[in-house]
Order: sequence, then structure tokens, then C-alpha cells
Amino acid sequence: MTTNHRARRWATAGAGLALALSLAACGGNIAGGSDAEGGEFPGGDPVTIYVGQDPGGSTDLIARALADEVSDDLGVPVTVENKPGANGALAAQELAGEKPDGHTLMIYNGSLAYITPLAVGEGKAPDIADYEIVTGISLDDYVLVTAPGSGFTTIEDLAGAGRPITFGTTGVGTGSQLSQELLFAQADIEATAVPFDGGSPTLTAVLGGQVDVGSIQLGEAIEQIEAGELTPIVTFAEERVSYLPDTPTAVEAGYDVPVQQARAVFAPKGTPEDVLQSLRESFQSAFESEAYQEFNESNQLTPNEIDGEQLREQWTSNLEDYRSVVEEYGIDLGGDQ
Amino acid sequence: MDLAPVLDGFTVVLEPTNLLYCLIGVVIGMLVGVLPGLGPAATIAILLPITFGVEAVTAIIMLAGIFYGAQYGGTITSVLLRLPGEASSVVTVFDGHALARQGKAGTALGIAAIGSFIGGTVSILALTFLAPLVAGFALDFGPPEYTALALLGILLVATVSSGSRLKAVIAAAIGLLLATVGRDAFTGGERFTFGNLSLADGLDFVPIAMGLFGLGEILYNLEERHTAVHAPATVANVWPSRKDLRQSSGSIGRGSVLGFVLGILPGGGATLSSLAAYAMEKKRSKTPERFGHGAVEGVAGPETANNAAATSSFIPLLTLGIPANATMAVIFGALLIQGVSPGPQLVTQEPELFWGVVNSLYIGNILLLIMSIPLVGLFVKILRVRPAILAPITVLITLVGVYTVNNDVFDIVLVIVFGALGYLMKKLGFDPGPLVLAFVLGTLLEDSLRRSLLIFDGDATEFFARPISGILLVLFLLVALLPPVRSAIVRRRTTSTETRTKELV
Repeated sequence: MTTNHRARRWATAGAGLALALSLAACGGNIAGGSDAEGGEFPGGDPVTIYVGQDPGGSTDLIARALADEVSDDLGVPVTVENKPGANGALAAQELAGEKPDGHTLMIYNGSLAYITPLAVGEGKAPDIADYEIVTGISLDDYVLVTAPGSGFTTIEDLAGAGRPITFGTTGVGTGSQLSQELLFAQADIEATAVPFDGGSPTLTAVLGGQVDVGSIQLGEAIEQIEAGELTPIVTFAEERVSYLPDTPTAVEAGYDVPVQQARAVFAPKGTPEDVLQSLRESFQSAFESEAYQEFNESNQLTPNEIDGEQLREQWTSNLEDYRSVVEEYGIDLGGDQ
Repeated sequence: MDLAPVLDGFTVVLEPTNLLYCLIGVVIGMLVGVLPGLGPAATIAILLPITFGVEAVTAIIMLAGIFYGAQYGGTITSVLLRLPGEASSVVTVFDGHALARQGKAGTALGIAAIGSFIGGTVSILALTFLAPLVAGFALDFGPPEYTALALLGILLVATVSSGSRLKAVIAAAIGLLLATVGRDAFTGGERFTFGNLSLADGLDFVPIAMGLFGLGEILYNLEERHTAVHAPATVANVWPSRKDLRQSSGSIGRGSVLGFVLGILPGGGATLSSLAAYAMEKKRSKTPERFGHGAVEGVAGPETANNAAATSSFIPLLTLGIPANATMAVIFGALLIQGVSPGPQLVTQEPELFWGVVNSLYIGNILLLIMSIPLVGLFVKILRVRPAILAPITVLITLVGVYTVNNDVFDIVLVIVFGALGYLMKKLGFDPGPLVLAFVLGTLLEDSLRRSLLIFDGDATEFFARPISGILLVLFLLVALLPPVRSAIVRRRTTSTETRTKELV
């Protein structure tokens, strides 16, 4: 009997709580409704930003740094939701199915747009033509590193090693793999790719001399480079990276292979132009904030805050460029698709 | 040895948040230890998503607390009610409950608590000195070494684990098979994904662990009819007499060493070491006939050993990144969720996390010692909570929890599928442990092997040319070949008692 009583009491309490919660939620909506009189975005409703990577990774950190600032500007909560899987393809797929009202966005990785399609074959990677692009965000550079004990300091050293070299990549279909495959193909160096699972294991393998060299995102390697535990050989940027002024780019060394990781804000196809425009303004003000600029600085990120359509051209031409070099040198990024 | 990071670790544990989570962990551990049914692996699996929002070190401190807390809790019901709450406390029933019937329940519990504390402490000390030693080799651990290590780990799990060896090997093979699902990390080719993007990165560890251990166990327990238990209201005279202490001091010492060694071995762990310690005490005793009728050594030995093993099984996980048993596999998963990949570099890369967790073991053991004696009566009352109330709540927590990890409904489906699989496995006498361990180690094994062969340019003999991988592979061959050879010899003689006890296990 007592159990019954107790159960009933709990049920009542639960119903009460649910009622209170729904009232609170309604309250929020009513307040929001009055804001949205002219049907103006965001109309008091929160914005969700999908991240196709794990929490704590670079993409996630960028999303969170931006979400704070954009939330201040829009005056509504902006939350980051991680939907990791398939290098962001999973999150991209979900984004495509969301309502195109500007309340669901995604931080889209450049590698998914212009490298993954080369690795997984036609039609298996999402197409950026199926999305609206709000704005570009920033560029992340890859740097080719080696352990000081290897004795390599330039690409010529690698070419003159007198043996096939091994190179660690952060995975299949990543900029790390593409950058090195292109470099070694152009420099005519016989090399074997050894894929690892992300930046940190690749770094460890290079440090331990398990592989000769590795291409790693600058932010992940900078500490070891500054401590002298890793020797930077080249960066894969178009111009010298301001964070590594003494390291030549691969382009300078005579190999035409700029490969960078880029990130942009995507929205579902069909999002109205005025909504996109007000989002652009919010992101622009976020880019200008001091806190965000410091964030870029401390994570070795180069701003690439270009307009959506400009970014679409940038990424599309990247994909075409890479496709033609990959075909020219007969490089096989993926398996037998 | 540089003591500064060790001391920094204490500052980490003594932060109020971490102390609180340590306390929460050991209390939850005690609770699940007392409650028959849900074990620590299941509890940790179910609570994995909760650790998502807190810092890595805090999360692991709590989860570790659940694990060794359960070893204490399991003792209480074994002694008082002849109802082992935990598999590792099954042997404590024999002498512990006999002591309780003689009115010496307090003595049994006191000895168990003191033995557990000492066993745990010995292991922590060894861990403190061993880990930096292993970490010195961190950079020498490349793909070939991991290949050998993973191979050895899977083999040991399948051979040492309790129950039928054939069934363990089958479970491990299924685990290896499940580990191949997903995009091939070397070619980008898709394996067993059926075009489903949720499977592109392979099956996630968390829903598998939550399904097999959590949901599977809940379902299995539903079949058992739980009768209301009436526990003795008070336990008098908790402090063991000086005579009892003297009598059990040898057992505590032996139990510490035995538990420590068995805990490190993959497939070993708390349950196996408590059984081995009981057998050893009985064998060594001049008066083996007292065993089963209230011998203090029969409580002291196993209880010390299970705690020593619970602690020492952290060694392979934290220093090599190889989980030694199912619970460690779940904690491995928790570390991965936090973005920490355990391995030889952990102690140098994340000293705060490493030493914070290790030192929390000291604090947790002290908390348990303080709590376990005065709170015995309270914990026993918890047994009155009906499974009919507890089970649905746990299922709900599991399903909501798994969704929060990746915000993916697919994971809920996975939990249900693996819950059903876990239930069927238990029903048919398969231990899900080897499956989960092989699943965790399978990816490591495959990737490391393929990486090694790329580095070696296809020449497999180079595995033996490197000192660490060479030694590990020789060990592998020994473990693989020894049991068949030994059993061939044994079969020639008459069946020894030893093999018969093993069957019972």
C-alpha cells in the first residue's frame, strides 16, 4: 500500500513538473512571438549549429567560439550539436533534411567538399551544390614534419634518401594524405602512405620515428615544432604561414600543391536570401570581435571570411584542380571504388 | 623518479568537484555491489553518457570509484545474506556467511574492509612506480608493438576468462568481426555498412557496451524472481579482534600479491583472483577443514585479492592502452569519449589526468574504508527496492543516455539490438566480456598490423627483429601453445582436482 501511495505522489509531482516546464516553454514562445512581428529572423527561436566532428577537435572549437559571439549578436541562444561520423557526411546529410529557415546551420569542412569526393568516388560524398553557403570562416595549414633524428630538413633530403620513405597521414581522404601524395608524386619520391587515426597518433608516430615524415595540421604540431622535437620541412599553404615564417611553402620549393583545411557555415538548400543575409551580418560581427580574433591567433588559424558564393567558387575550383592532378599522376587516394 | 607530477595529482583529486565525484562514484559502486544483478561494467556503461559533460579526469575518477566500490559492496551481501552482489564476492559467501551465522558478521566485514584497503593500496603503489617506467618506452611503441600487444591481449582474454574456453573464443571472434564494420581506414572502402552513413565510421563502442552489459543484464535479471530479503538490523562488533587480524595477516599479504598479478593479466581481474586466492588459502592452510565453516582467512584472502586486482587492472589500460577486462574496456570507452586515447604517452601527455586518477584510488579506498563499516545497515536496506521499479528506470536512463552521446537515434537502435544479443548470450552461457574486449582491440589489431606491414614493406619477419614486438610475440606463442601441451600431459594422468575447480569457475 505504501508503495502505491508513494508512486502516486511521484506521479503527481512529475505531472506538476511537466506542467511547469511546458508553461515555461510557452512563456518563451510568447515572448519570442512578439519579437517576430515583422517575420524577421531569428524571431526569438534558437539556432543550432551542427558539427560533423567530435567535441574538442578544431572544428568543434571553432563552432563554439563563433556560437558565443553570434548568439550575442542575434539575441537568441546558439547551440553547437556534435554529430560526428564519416568526416562530417553524416551531419551534412542531416542538415540537408532540416527546415531551410536559418535555425539549423553546420560548420562544413573543406576536406569533405574537395578531398573526400576523390577518395570515396562519385556520388558517395555530399555535394556542396545541395546547400546554401552563409560564409567562409578560416583556413588551417598543413605542415610536413619529421623527427630531428631522421636527418631530413628539405624535400631534396627526402628525394636523396636512397630508399623508399614512409609517410604518416591523419587518415584516408584527408588533406594530410592529399598534400603528401601530391608532393611526393611531383617530386618523384618513392613513398608509402601509412594512415593513422587523426592528428595525435600521426604526431606520435613521427616523433617515435615509426614513419619518416607526416603532414599534420599546424595547430596540432606547433608545440613540438617550437620545442625542437619536430623539424618542419615545408607547409602546404599558398603563401608563407605567418605562424611559421622560416618554413618554406611547397609552392616555393617548386611543387605546385597548396592543400589547406577550410571551414565554412552551411545552411539547408532553399534558405531565404534575407535570412542568409542577416546570418552573414551576425557572423561578420562575430569575426570582428576581439575574443574571436584572439582565438584564431592562438589556434594558428588564418581568416578566410569570404562571401558564400566566393567560397563556393573557391572550393569547387579546389576540387577540380585536385581531381586533375590526381588523375595526371595516377594517385589513388581511396581504394577500389 | 620525479615526484612533482604525483603530488600535482593529489591537488587534482583534492579539488572539491573531483572529491565529490569520487564520493559519488564509490557510493554508486557500493550500491551496485550490494544489489545483485547489475555489475560494475553494466553500471559504468549505463552512466557513460553522464560523464560526457564533465572533465575527463573527473569522469574517470567517478567511473573508477564505481569499479572498486563495487568490490567492497559485494562483500556486504555475501556475508550477511549469503547473496553475492558481485561475481568477485562469490567465494566470500562460503566463510563470510558462516562467520555471520556464528554472530561474527562484524569480524568478517571488518577483515574484508581492511584486506580490501591493503590490497588496493599495494596495487596503487605498484602502479605509481610502474607507470612512468612503461612510459619511458612510449615512443618505442609503434604499430608493430601494438599489433603484438593486441594479439596477446585477445588471446589471453579468450583463454584466461572464466567459463567455457570455446564459447569465449567464439564471442571474441564475433567481437573481431563487429570491429571490421565501417569505412576501411586504409582504402576508404566500405565494409558491412549497407550504405548506411551511421555505420560509415564503424559501430560505436558505447552503444555496444551499454546494450550488452546494461540492457542485456537488466533483461536477464528480469527472469529471476527476487524475494524480499530480511537483513539483520544491526551488525555488532565491527572491529576484528587482534587474534583475527594476526590470523589473516598472511592471507592479506598473499592476496595482495596474487590479486595484483592476476589483475594485470588480460582476462584476469577481480573475479578470477578472488577464486584463486580462496583456493590458495585453502591449500596453504594447516587446517583446511575449517574452510567453509567460518575461517577468517577464507574472507581475508579473496577480498584482498579482488580489490588488488580491481586496482591493478588499471595498469595495462593506463600505461599501454590495452583494457585487461570488460570493465576496463568500458572505462577505455569513457576515455575515448573524452578525447583521451590511453597509451604509453598518457602519463607524459596528460599527467594531471593520469596522476589525478591514480591518486583518486587512494582517496576512494580511504572513503570506502570509512563508509563501509558504519553504513552497512543502510546499504542492506537498499535491497528492499524492488527490481520492478529499478529495472524500468535503468532502461530509460540507458536509452536516453546513449542518445545524448552522439545525438543519433541510430545508437538507440544499436543498444536495443545489442541488449537482445547480450540477453541471448547470457542465456546460452556466453560471457559478453570477450566480445567487447575483442571489439575494442580488433580495430587496434587490424590497423596496427596493416600499418606495420606498410612500414615493413610487407616483410612480416621484421616483427621479430624489433625487441618489444619480438618478445611479445614469443609470449603469444607460449600462451597459445602451453595449454594444449599441458592438457595433453594432464590427460595422460588422472584428472587433477585443479582442472575440476577450473570447470566450476
